[in-house]
Amino acid sequence: MSGTPHDHYASGHDDQAHDHDHDDHKPVNEHDDGPPGEYEIMSRAMQELLEQKGIITAEQVTKRMEQFDEEFPYHGGQVVARAWVDPAFKQRLLADGRAACAEMGAMLEAERLIAVENTPQVHNVIVCTLCSCYPRALLGMPPTWYKSRNYRSRVVFEPRSVLREFGTVLPDNVTVRVHDSNADMRYLVVPMRPAGTEGWSEEKLAGILSRDTLVGVTVPRLPA
Amino acid sequence: MKTIPSDIGGEPAGPVDTIDHGMRHWERQANAFRSVVQLKKITCTDELRRAAEELGGRYKDMQYFEITTSAVRKVLIEKGMFTEQQLQAKMAEIRARFNVPDEIESPLKTAAKK
Repeated sequence: MSGTPHDHYASGHDDQAHDHDHDDHKPVNEHDDGPPGEYEIMSRAMQELLEQKGIITAEQVTKRMEQFDEEFPYHGGQVVARAWVDPAFKQRLLADGRAACAEMGAMLEAERLIAVENTPQVHNVIVCTLCSCYPRALLGMPPTWYKSRNYRSRVVFEPRSVLREFGTVLPDNVTVRVHDSNADMRYLVVPMRPAGTEGWSEEKLAGILSRDTLVGVTVPRLPA
Repeated sequence: MKTIPSDIGGEPAGPVDTIDHGMRHWERQANAFRSVVQLKKITCTDELRRAAEELGGRYKDMQYFEITTSAVRKVLIEKGMFTEQQLQAKMAEIRARFNVPDEIESPLKTAAKK
């Protein structure tokens, strides 16, 4: 085998033209044009009815929106960066993902979080074929493609083709494992730490741990 | 054997659009509202998915947050949090507030404008 193990997956990657250089933690939210639709009115109506009954408050909903936008998307990178620099933490993360995330203040909604580690032999990808189960407390809201029919249908039987669409080309000798999430059990990919990041702070490491790397459709790369 | 409309893993399908198109404002509200309802233990993910799956043939023609919103509606009515009539009345009130034309004629809309 040639090349350093850490650069293994990256071979043939950099020359792939794809547009994941932006910060994929922050999607550009689309504006709502025109009059509100039926479902928008329905959702607001339900919220107001529960507010009137004193069951929830508008502040609780607003706070939750802010957490989904500004807090949750960054937890995943922080957790994996810690795992990269702290072997004992990594062991705890792999043994009981939920408890390890709680140590760092990230409270998972699901019963179990299973962290799956990429190695030179195995690459992991996550999906929820039935719907959109996703470690939201670690990655924010799932991107559009994660919820799409095409991703959910295909990644389970032709993951290499799907990964290629994300610009990720895996050598034939690397085993690809696809993990199907459900309501009680979520997954998080722990990518391999790239060579050239020795001595980096956790914060700097978290900067290359984009959402897509933690779902497993891409691998971390050093900034160009 | 395929028994539910959401069971699509393994079906042939086209290329993946790898761009994240983000969420509309109302989708962010709908998601946060659904999340708060779950935090209050009024419902749970499994129950909402069961309600979504009961959409049957309508499922494939609906967008993601239309499905989740329909599921929340079904479950909250089942649990007696409000009735269908109360929901319809509240929706009419909100429609008027947004000044969306409907059967209600202008005097009400003008009043709702403040």
